[in-house]
Amino acid sequence: MRVPLSWLREYVDIQLTPEQLAERLTLLGMEVKGVERWGAEWRNVVVGELLTVEPHPRADRLHLTTVSIGSGEPLQIVCGAHNIAPGQRVPVALPGAVLPGDRRIERTEKMGIASAGMLCSGDELRITSDGEGILILPADMPLGAALVDLLGDVVLDVDVKPNRGDALSMLGLAREVAAVTGAPVRWPEIDVIESGRPVGERLTVTVRDPDLCARFVGRWVSGVRIAPSPDQVQMRLLAAGMRPVSNVVDASNYVMLEMGKPIHTFDAAAIHDGRIVVRRAVAGERIETLDHVERHLADDTLLIADPRGPLAIAGIMGGAGSEIGDATTEVIVESAVFDPISIRRTGQRYALRSEASLRFEKGQELRLARIGADRTAQLVAAWAGGAVAPGRVDTNPEEPREARVAFRPSRVNRLLGTALSTAEQRDLLRLVGVATEEAVPASTTIVIAAGTRPLSVPAGTTETLLAVVPTWRRDILIEADIAEEVARVRGYELVPAMLPRTPTPAWRPDPLELRDAVRATLAGAGLTEVVTLALVSPRHGEVFGWSSADIAARGETAAEGSPITVTNPLSSEHAILRQGLVGSLADVVSANLRHGLQDMAIFEIGKGYGRSGEQAIEWWRAGLALTGAGDPAAWNRPARPVDLDDAKGLAEMLCRSLGLEPSWTALADEGVLHPGRAARLAGRDALGALCLAGRVGELHPRLLEAWELRTDRLVVAELSVAGLSGGALPGVRSTPPPRFQASERDLAIVVAREIPAAVVEAAIRSAGGELLRTVTLFDIYQGAPLSAGERSLAYRLVYSAGDRTPTEQEVEAAVAAVTASIAAVVGGRIRS
Amino acid sequence: MDLAGLTRDLEALRDEVVSAVAGTQEVSALAALEVDVLGKKGRLGVVLRGIGGLPTDDRPRVGAVANAVRVAVEEVFQARGVELRAKELEARFRAETVDVTTPGRPIRRGSLHPIVETAGRIAEIFSQFGFVVHEGPEVEDDLTNFQMLNIPPDHPARDLWDTLYVDIDGKLLRTHTSPGQIRVMHASTPPIRALLPGRCFRYEAIDASHASEFFQVEGLMIDEGTTLGDLRGLLDQFAQAMFGQGKRTRFRPGYYPFTEPSVAFDVECVVCGGSGCPACSRSGWMTILGAGMVHPVVLQYGGLDPERYQGFAFGMGVERIANLRHSVGDLRLYMENDLRFLEQFR
Ligand SMILES: [Zn+2]
Repeated sequence: MRVPLSWLREYVDIQLTPEQLAERLTLLGMEVKGVERWGAEWRNVVVGELLTVEPHPRADRLHLTTVSIGSGEPLQIVCGAHNIAPGQRVPVALPGAVLPGDRRIERTEKMGIASAGMLCSGDELRITSDGEGILILPADMPLGAALVDLLGDVVLDVDVKPNRGDALSMLGLAREVAAVTGAPVRWPEIDVIESGRPVGERLTVTVRDPDLCARFVGRWVSGVRIAPSPDQVQMRLLAAGMRPVSNVVDASNYVMLEMGKPIHTFDAAAIHDGRIVVRRAVAGERIETLDHVERHLADDTLLIADPRGPLAIAGIMGGAGSEIGDATTEVIVESAVFDPISIRRTGQRYALRSEASLRFEKGQELRLARIGADRTAQLVAAWAGGAVAPGRVDTNPEEPREARVAFRPSRVNRLLGTALSTAEQRDLLRLVGVATEEAVPASTTIVIAAGTRPLSVPAGTTETLLAVVPTWRRDILIEADIAEEVARVRGYELVPAMLPRTPTPAWRPDPLELRDAVRATLAGAGLTEVVTLALVSPRHGEVFGWSSADIAARGETAAEGSPITVTNPLSSEHAILRQGLVGSLADVVSANLRHGLQDMAIFEIGKGYGRSGEQAIEWWRAGLALTGAGDPAAWNRPARPVDLDDAKGLAEMLCRSLGLEPSWTALADEGVLHPGRAARLAGRDALGALCLAGRVGELHPRLLEAWELRTDRLVVAELSVAGLSGGALPGVRSTPPPRFQASERDLAIVVAREIPAAVVEAAIRSAGGELLRTVTLFDIYQGAPLSAGERSLAYRLVYSAGDRTPTEQEVEAAVAAVTASIAAVVGGRIRS
Repeated sequence: MDLAGLTRDLEALRDEVVSAVAGTQEVSALAALEVDVLGKKGRLGVVLRGIGGLPTDDRPRVGAVANAVRVAVEEVFQARGVELRAKELEARFRAETVDVTTPGRPIRRGSLHPIVETAGRIAEIFSQFGFVVHEGPEVEDDLTNFQMLNIPPDHPARDLWDTLYVDIDGKLLRTHTSPGQIRVMHASTPPIRALLPGRCFRYEAIDASHASEFFQVEGLMIDEGTTLGDLRGLLDQFAQAMFGQGKRTRFRPGYYPFTEPSVAFDVECVVCGGSGCPACSRSGWMTILGAGMVHPVVLQYGGLDPERYQGFAFGMGVERIANLRHSVGDLRLYMENDLRFLEQFR
C-alpha cells in the first residue's frame, strides 16, 4: 500500500525521518518496500503570483501574464488556460525546469511574444488529474519557494500482510506508528450536518442473503454538484496510487484509504423507488459494469439490486446504469460488510479485483460500516455540496464488543524463549490497543488453536489473563497470536539468540548420499551438471518418450503411467510433467549449440513423473548427454569425436564406483535411439541384484532433425540407480591382493558376427572355473582368413588362486573347459 | 716371447687402446671395445697368456707391468664412459627439449550445478546441528500443501502462492516445501530436526527474480521446549556458516498462515555490507528466509499435541542463497544451463 506521509501525519505525529520510520515499521512487521520522494521530479518549479492577466494580442485562446516570483523583475509568461486571474498564486516552471515525463521547459516565443517559462496545471505536475486549468495554490504559499518543498511528499510502499487487513489504511498504519512511538492516534472528526427528509423515507434496504452481507448502512445526500475534488484531495489520492474521478467518487475512495472501509456510491435517480435489495443473482441475469463490460452473472454472485434488476456486483464493481455522472444530484452511500470468501470467489470468477475487493476479502469489522457511511456523507457534503438526509438505513445496527483471548504469560515466555514479567507483557500489549484483564484460571479456557482444527484447554492453576482485542484486530484469536504481539511490539530484535538445548534426534540415513556420490563421479569424469525444468511441452513428451519397456533398479520406482498435465499452464511449452530426462538434456545441448559451443558432456539427476489412475508417481533417474569431441582437440592432437563407447565407459565407471558389475545387451525397438547403437545396461551387485539399469545409445538421427539439433551425433543415457531416490552408498567389501602369481592365457575366439561379445564373454565365464579371475576383451578382428560371416574376439583370461600359484595342468584344464563351452554354447572355435 | 717383448706388447696394446678409446664416440662402441680388450677372450688376455712361456723369475715383473696396463686401460674406459654418457644424455636432452610454455593436454573438467551444490551446503550446515534430510513428493495434495498448513480454501493468504494445478483430482504441484512438515511429523516422533530440500512450482511469469520452478529448503524442529529464541540462535549460526563470520543479521516479524509467531530473517547485504545499494533496495539488508513457530493447527494436523509440543519451521529459496553466494543477479541463469555459466562452478 502506498502511504503519503503528509496524509499519515494527519492521524499521528511523526518525529522520525522517513527512513527511520520505514525501518521501525519494517521491524514491527509492516515491511516498507520502498521510500519514494513524491515531487522530486519538479525541478525549478516555484510559487508565483499573477500580477496581470491580459489577452494575447495575436491569439484569442492565449493570455499574456506577468508573474512575480518574489525576487527580480516580474516574468512575462504566455498561458492558454482560462481559470487564471490576477492575485492568484500558481506553480511557475522556470526556464530549465524539467516536469514529470522528462518535459523540459525553455524560454520560448508564442505568437511573437516571448514567454519566460510556463504556468503548470495539476496534470502537468502529476499531482491532480486536472489538465485544463492552472493549479491554483493556496494564497499563503511563499512566493519563489520551490514547489517540492511545499507540495512534495514522501510515499512509503508498505507491504501489508494478508492477515492485517486492518492496516490497509492510513488510520490502520497510524495505529502501527503509535505502537512504535507511543504517540496518540487522532481520528478524524466525523460531524454530519443533517437536513431535509430523513433517509428512511427515501431509501429501503432489504438483505435477502444475510450470510453474504452482514451489514448494510445506507446514507443519502441530496443536491450535490459533481465537480473535481479539492486539489489537496486529488494530490493525496494520486500519491496513494488512485486516480481522482469526481468529488463524490473521490470521497468514497478517500474513506477507503483513510479507514480501510470500501464504500460505493450510487446515483439515487437510477434506483427504482429507492428500494435496494441485496441478494444472490438468479440464473440468466446480466449487468453492464462500470468498465462497460456486459457480464453474465453466476447464481452465487451477490448483487446490489433494485426491484428492476442488478445495480452492482456487491463489493466488486458498480453498474454503469447507476454510476455517479456529471448530472447526478442525489447520492446514495453504500457502506456494507460482505462475506470475504464470497467476495474472493466472485472477484476471481470475473477476474475483477480492486482495492475495494482486496479489503473485503480480508474481512471487515461491522463497526466501520456505520463510521464509513457517516464519514463519506460528511465528505460528499463538504466537497460536492448538498444536504445529508437525517439518519441511516442500517440492516444490522448491533456492533459486537471486543473479543477476549485468554493467555498464560508463562506460555508466552515458553514460546518466545523470554522471561518477561506479566506486567511487561501487559504494557507491551497496551501499545497496540490490547487491554488486559485478570482472569480466574480455574474457570478460564485457553484457545490453543482455532480455524479448521480448534483446540482449547483449561487454564488450570496457571496465571491467566484475558486480552481485550480491539474490534479491528480480526487476526488475534489464539494464545500464540498474543505471543506474537508481545514479541512484535517489544521488537523481535530483543528475542534472545540461543542454541537448542533439547535432545538430539536419532541418526537417520541421508537420502542425498547416493545422489551426491553419482554426481561426484560424473563431474569427476568431466561432465557438467545441469538442472532443467520438470515442466515441458506435450510435444516434448511425444518425441522423447521411450518406446522400450522401462526397467527400474532394485528399490527404485519404475517409470510408468501417462503424463501428468497442468490444467492452468503458464504456456503450452510447460504444460506437462516430463517422463524422462533425455529431452531436457537435448534442449540444453540445443541451446548451447546455438551459443556456439560444440563439445558438450552434461548430466542431470532429476525426476520423471507419471499418473496411474488417480495416483501420481515420481521416479529418480540420472541422465547424460555427450556430443562433439570425446577427447578435445589440442595444438598437437586432433579431436576425437564422441561415440557410444564414451557413454558406455561412463556408465561402466559409474557401475564400478558403486561396486556393480556392468553387462550390456542390445536394445531393440527403442524409437528414441539409433537402432544399431542402442544398448541396455544392467549393473549387478555381488549377489546378482539389479542395482543399475538403463538405456545408453545414440539419439535417433530423425530426432536430431525433428529437434533441430545441429550436431552429427548425440549420445545419451538414462539410468535408474538403486538408492538414487534416497538410499545410502553401498559399502565396499575388500579382499587382500593375491600373494601368488597369476597365469594369463590369450584366446582368440572365432564366432559368427551376429553373436554379441557379451554372450561370448558369458560363455567364457560360465565355464571358467573357480580359478578364472578376469576376462578382458582386447581385440576384435574380421577379414581374411576368416569367412565373411565371422569375427574373432581376443580375450585375455587371468587365472589365480588365493593360496598358491595355479599349476600348468590346472590352467590348461580350465582353458580346455572354456574352449569346449565356446564350441557348445556359441558355436565358436579357437583361432591359433 | 721374452720379457722385453711382452712388456713392449703390453705397452703397445695400452697405447693403442688409449687412443682407440679416445676415438670412440658412442657408449655402445666403447662397450664393444671394452669387451674386445678386457673381455674373457679379449686382447689383453691373449697377450697375458704369453706369460706362461716366460721364465718363472720374470713372471712377477711382467705381472706388475700387466696389472699397471690393465688398471690404466680400465681407467681410460671408465673415464671415457662417463664422458660419453654425459654427452649422450646432453644430446638426448637437446633432442627432447620441448617448448614448455605450450598448453598441456586438455582434460575435460566437470562441474556441479550451483543450485544443487547450495542446497547441499545448506543441508551440510544444518546437519551439524543434528538436522536430517527428508524428502516429499512434488505432485502434492491440496490438503497437505495448503489445508493442513492452516490455509483453507479461499483463504486470502492463498494469494501468496500462485498455484499450478494438475489433472488429478485434489493434486497440485507443491508451491513450497512446507507440506513436508506434515509428512515429517507423521513419519517421526519428537524430538524432530528435519531438513526438506526440493523442487517447487508456482504459476509465475519468469523474469530476473521470478521462476516457475525453483528450489527450497525447509527446516523443522519440534520438541517440548523449542523456542523462538532457539530459532534465532540457529539462524544466526546458519548465516555465519553460509555467509561468513561476523555477518550481522536481523530478526523481524513476518507472516505465514502456518507459523505463529512468524519471522522474516535478514542478513547484512553481501554487496554493500549494510550501507545500502540497489541490490538491497538501499536498506542494507537482504531477506534470506521466512520462519516462525509452527502453528498449533499445523501441529495437530501433524498428529502432535500443541499444548505439549512446540517448535519452529523455516524455509528458504535456494536460488536466493546461491545468488548471494555467487553474485548472481538473474534467476534465469540457473535453469538456462548455459554451460559457459555453469562451468565456472568447478
Ligand atoms: Zn546493499
